Amino acid sequence: MSNLLSVENLTMKFGGLTAIDDLSFDAQNNQITSIIGPNGAGKTTVFNCLTGFYKPTNGQMFLHKEYSKISLRKYTDFKIAYVAKVARTFQNIRLFPAMSVLENLLVAQHNELMVASGYSLFGLLNLKSYRDKEQLAVDKAKYWLDIIGLTHRADDNAGDLPYGDQRKLEIVRAMCIEPRLLCLDEPAAGLNPKESAELNKLLKFIKTEKQTGILLIEHDMSVVMGISDHVVVLNYGKKIFEGTAEQTKNSKEVIEAYLGVDE
Amino acid sequence: MEKKDIIQSFKDSLFTGLIALALFGPIVGLRTVSKGEGLFITPQWGVVFLLVGLCILGRFLININSARRTEFKIFSTLSSKFSSITEDKAKHFAITGILFAVVFPFLPFTDRYFMDVAIMILTYIMLGWGLNIVVGLAGLLDLGYVAFYAVGAYSYALIATTFGWSFWICLPLAGVFAAFFGILLGFPVLRLRGDYLAIVTLGFGEIIRIILINWYEVTNGPDGITGIPRPSFFGLPFKRSPDEGETSFHLFFNLEYSTMHRIVFLYYLILVLALITNYFTLKIRKLPVGRAWEALREDEIACKSLGVNPTNTKLTAFAIGAMFGGFAGSFFATRQAFISPESFTFIESAIIVAIVVLGGMGSQTGVVLASIFLIGITEMFRDLEQFRMIAFGGAMVLIMVFKPKGILANRKPTILMHGDKK
Repeated sequence: MSNLLSVENLTMKFGGLTAIDDLSFDAQNNQITSIIGPNGAGKTTVFNCLTGFYKPTNGQMFLHKEYSKISLRKYTDFKIAYVAKVARTFQNIRLFPAMSVLENLLVAQHNELMVASGYSLFGLLNLKSYRDKEQLAVDKAKYWLDIIGLTHRADDNAGDLPYGDQRKLEIVRAMCIEPRLLCLDEPAAGLNPKESAELNKLLKFIKTEKQTGILLIEHDMSVVMGISDHVVVLNYGKKIFEGTAEQTKNSKEVIEAYLGVDE
Repeated sequence: MEKKDIIQSFKDSLFTGLIALALFGPIVGLRTVSKGEGLFITPQWGVVFLLVGLCILGRFLININSARRTEFKIFSTLSSKFSSITEDKAKHFAITGILFAVVFPFLPFTDRYFMDVAIMILTYIMLGWGLNIVVGLAGLLDLGYVAFYAVGAYSYALIATTFGWSFWICLPLAGVFAAFFGILLGFPVLRLRGDYLAIVTLGFGEIIRIILINWYEVTNGPDGITGIPRPSFFGLPFKRSPDEGETSFHLFFNLEYSTMHRIVFLYYLILVLALITNYFTLKIRKLPVGRAWEALREDEIACKSLGVNPTNTKLTAFAIGAMFGGFAGSFFATRQAFISPESFTFIESAIIVAIVVLGGMGSQTGVVLASIFLIGITEMFRDLEQFRMIAFGGAMVLIMVFKPKGILANRKPTILMHGDKK
């Protein structure tokens, strides 16, 4: 276990509103770090800063590699996923609904396939080297579809899947870019208890089998308490508590933030 | 169906008649005829009453139909049958279509007029296929596609008349120029989406046309460029009496001279160009870049989160779409031997977009059907002069009513895991 992500003094202001206020926390490799907090606490804003959708007003975010660390501030937009290998999912699912499940997973492997296809040239010539690479990409997609049990629907449109399956598909699509850090924005929203349990299993699998750290925003406490190794609690953009799931459950500050203070 | 409904729909159709009267009254009813020294108004109330009556009747039928809450059975069965035919036998359909296109010039009823219409339809099919990359696959609504057609035509015309290079050298050059303009347009519109993108591309199309009109020294302004060299059959020109030391097509093959030789050659030329466009599009759709185009159309933010570079992806779509527009443009120039900015007005862009949208976004066969339907119907009513545009509008309305998603709106995945089930 080693340090994967360190966020240092992160501040994000929108005009006069301070959405994140001097936030610092760490996330470890092969661990699930949950960020929880009441609505409007700034959780999704943290994600948007980490994944390059927002440029933070202040502060640093480092992703640690074996012998070096890279600053996520330097990368914006698609480069966060391409170069820094930070993947994310969205609060409202963002699949490619009119494309098939398999195609969704292949788009996630776009950059490798682009190189393999010689920026389309080898692909147009239908060279064997490209076809082999494409087959590898399909195999990888199949590997992940087997895990979430959707292989039989690989050729159906992603938009036709049931809601719970779409959630899982979005997660494995993010996994197809082989991320070092996976950011999940409310993956259990709208899932029934059975689907939540399946989600827990999937996240635990990713945590133990893949060299990936998971950062999780979640409201569903059965998910948070069941799988989190580490919990960061935000309220009004500030970190009010940090600890294990068990410690969080019993923390006075957290209970106050959620339920209010007894006057 | 109750009596109250009938009265209600009757009232509604009378109101429709009133609007129709207000519209048709001045437009159709009062016809100006120039006689001798001035303009005179000839009323034609009979036609107005006929049109208004048709409107009332049509509205009444539509009302009654919607009150029954069921569709006219004929139309629904017809349209479902139509889609089942084209889906199941898409491959046979395509092969038959290509075979028909190949033998078309030698069919007994084919005359000069049919050939001209066929060449025109094929030009629009090629433009439709080119634009399909931008609009259908990448989802970037480009209302200025005619600009690339114009760039291709003028590049070809200027290079050919200035340097005297042959068609086969000028054609790729024209494509390259058009692709360059595609990228030029692509850069400023990268951040725009939807309606905003459409407006800017529309403006771009107009800018190109106005430059062509005003840059007199280069483009010869509104007078256009004349004397554009005709294509030759691999060095053999289609001339009755060739120049010294030249052999013309009919002499080389020992044929009677006929202007049809050139027409047939042009026909095959555009057929081959169009088929190349189609082949290329079908191929590239299955490559990573093609999938990225479609993904971008579906959700740009999700694309970014997966590391797909939206800038490059959009620019390649613009460039490749523009390149095929440029090829079609140089064909147009060599066919007409004369081009002027008048050939590249907004209505051309609108027709090409209509072909792509009505054909079913992203569907290659749909583009063919829509071109044949729209251009063919407009041509069939050529005798009606200015009213033939009504036929064009009518054809569009028909497709929109019965096939709102386009003639062929079914998308097939670019890659299958389990193979074709059928």
